[in-house]
Amino acid sequence: MIVATRALHAEWTKARTVRSSGWLLVGITTLTLGLGALVAASVRFAGCAPPGGDCDVDATRIALSGVYVGQVAAVLFGVLVVSSEYATGTIRTTLTAVPRRWVTLVAKAVVVAGPVLLTAVLAVAGSLLVARAVLPANGFTPAHGYPALSIGDSATLRASVGTVLYLCLIALLSLGVALIVRNAGAAIATALSLLFVFPIVGTLVTEPRWREWLTEWAPMSAGLAVQATRGLDAMPVGPWQGLAVLTAYAGGALAVGGILLQVRDA
Amino acid sequence: MTYSSAVPSNGAGFAQVLHAEWTKLRSVRSTWICVGLTFGLTILLAYLAGSGNTTDANSFGPQRFFQAQLVHQSLTGDGSIVTHVASQEETGPDAKAGVMITGPVADPTSKTGLPASPPAYAAIMVTPGHGVQWQSDISHDAAGTTDPAPRWLKLTRAGSRITGYESPDGVTWTQVGTAEVTELPATARVGMFVSAPPTGVKAIRRSPTSIENSPDYTLSTAVFDSVRITGANGQPVSGSWQHVDTSGPPRELPHDSVAGSFTENAGRFTVSGAGDLGVQAPGSVGDNDVVRDTLSGILIGFIAMAVLAALYITSEFRRGIIRTTFTATPRRGRVLAAKSIVLAAVAFVTGVAAAVPAFLISQPLLRENGFAPPAYPKVSLTDGPVVRAVLGTGLVLALLAVLALALGALLRSSAAAITLVIAVVLVPLIIGPFLTLGGEAWLKRITPGAGMAIQQTRERWDDAIGPWAGIAVLSGWVAVVLIAAVVQLRRRDA
Repeated sequence: MIVATRALHAEWTKARTVRSSGWLLVGITTLTLGLGALVAASVRFAGCAPPGGDCDVDATRIALSGVYVGQVAAVLFGVLVVSSEYATGTIRTTLTAVPRRWVTLVAKAVVVAGPVLLTAVLAVAGSLLVARAVLPANGFTPAHGYPALSIGDSATLRASVGTVLYLCLIALLSLGVALIVRNAGAAIATALSLLFVFPIVGTLVTEPRWREWLTEWAPMSAGLAVQATRGLDAMPVGPWQGLAVLTAYAGGALAVGGILLQVRDA
Repeated sequence: MTYSSAVPSNGAGFAQVLHAEWTKLRSVRSTWICVGLTFGLTILLAYLAGSGNTTDANSFGPQRFFQAQLVHQSLTGDGSIVTHVASQEETGPDAKAGVMITGPVADPTSKTGLPASPPAYAAIMVTPGHGVQWQSDISHDAAGTTDPAPRWLKLTRAGSRITGYESPDGVTWTQVGTAEVTELPATARVGMFVSAPPTGVKAIRRSPTSIENSPDYTLSTAVFDSVRITGANGQPVSGSWQHVDTSGPPRELPHDSVAGSFTENAGRFTVSGAGDLGVQAPGSVGDNDVVRDTLSGILIGFIAMAVLAALYITSEFRRGIIRTTFTATPRRGRVLAAKSIVLAAVAFVTGVAAAVPAFLISQPLLRENGFAPPAYPKVSLTDGPVVRAVLGTGLVLALLAVLALALGALLRSSAAAITLVIAVVLVPLIIGPFLTLGGEAWLKRITPGAGMAIQQTRERWDDAIGPWAGIAVLSGWVAVVLIAAVVQLRRRDA
């Protein structure tokens, strides 16, 4: 237990004292908030602007859309906690100090997930507040069936909590990828590919079956299914099932990364 | 006595710098892993795009349209109508203004937006682009002179035989076309009409995942004078003018309709209308760019190339080799230039080498899935636009690789450079759908991804930027970052 606490403390010190960590955490919040505000302020969907009436856009999803960019900072944060140690050779010191490698792995996961959780809460709360203020001007009014965004609404609450968890899971997935790939550049490219490639493939194919499959099993689109507050019946994957798919990705990456950490020379 | 250095001047050495940089690139194993990934992923994506797309464009037969603003009177039995088209607004080469004889027109208010089955009719008209034309529902169209308005037009009825004439002065007449319109009732409608086919496509975004588009109609206005309807006995027929817009609602996107109009002032008729009149061949419905759709997988392949490009310089900083490099070639700008040239060459060759098999694999798959003639004419690797798209794929990859390299030189961190270059290229694709169509188009115009426009092989309503303009935008980004990187390299210690 003491070993675990000390390992955690050591990891925390390492993460805290690197300048990039702070910037990346600030980046998660500002990018999410900034893009979310930009999108919320600029959306003009036909039918939603007066004198519409057939609007079927998910306002909560619009409000939280900044996560598409914010997650990039989360990827970097998750990757760098591991790969910077491999780049500089610090990993050997770390593993000498804490020979039980899985303890190090758990400590790193906590040090990644904790701060991301906090910044994600800020990002999500801020995005909702901004959207709540801005969206009515774009036709999302109670008269059109869009009450002001509030976490009192259970679907919006689910979307908000889910988005916070999403960002944590993305950071953990990236941590796992970095344990497997080790090189920072390659790990970042791999993690970003996992997120962005599937949606782009989705735009290249029109076959409904393929698109459905891509939405169901791609880490990003499945994970962000948790943001949905409307049209749940039409979705190929439910909100929590989608987040579970992402959890499986993150868990799988961490497990493979953990095994490789055990069996490979550092 | 003057001193002369034995060290060769740097001017002669650029070939050696190039050679050195090529050696460094080719002797690293990860280079070829990345090149292989770019190559393989691009082809894989082309295979997916080829087999994951289907269309029913060829299942639509030729469609007949009867959409016009019609100003008419009744005419029983034989007779004729003569008019002078004094002026015609050119909304496109196929805007139509002329005279028509037709059976009963279906009540337009009962239509559902589908083209109504046209009544029996015959018409002679003038168009801005193709001069005088003859049209009837049962015979082939015929063309008269290529003169646009002003023009005299005449239509005569003898039984079911309708004949159309044109004239420059209303005195000497030339026959343009004739047809048996057997289904024409004894009392038919005769009069002037104006129609104009769509000038483009209008699109609206309903939600992030759904865009609706419809033809964009622009009203064309024509002025008719000297209108004369004559009965079987050669006497003028006078009656009251009626007008009807045969296109009927709704053929537009909601909240935005185009309605024709008609005014008469002392024998001058001003008529405006819009719509399609005549037969539209199958094939005009299919508008996918089958080449671009299958080559855009290069964006995925680019991710591996970005890693290679950034590491090409950041690994030198990391390991300190950059100091050896700069000692050997003190002009740092030259080092970056040499790296850019070597990298661009490798990326260009990789891009083209991937695009050719990508094209060859995907096109037969697409043809099997319905992207076949006549809706989708067969494309060949030697077509001009295809050549441009294939070579352009290499060009885009080369420019994006140099962008990643320059970012690496500027930031000296592979993590930062790779993240940034992937983010600026791919993130706009992901968040674009959340913006308005105009906002998304701007994103496609100003971000480095604009270079992907080089893969266009046909015009589409959602093209944000032209092929070469897109390349210019991407080149601008590359130039700016390269200059910043050179300035940085000169100022900062390595």
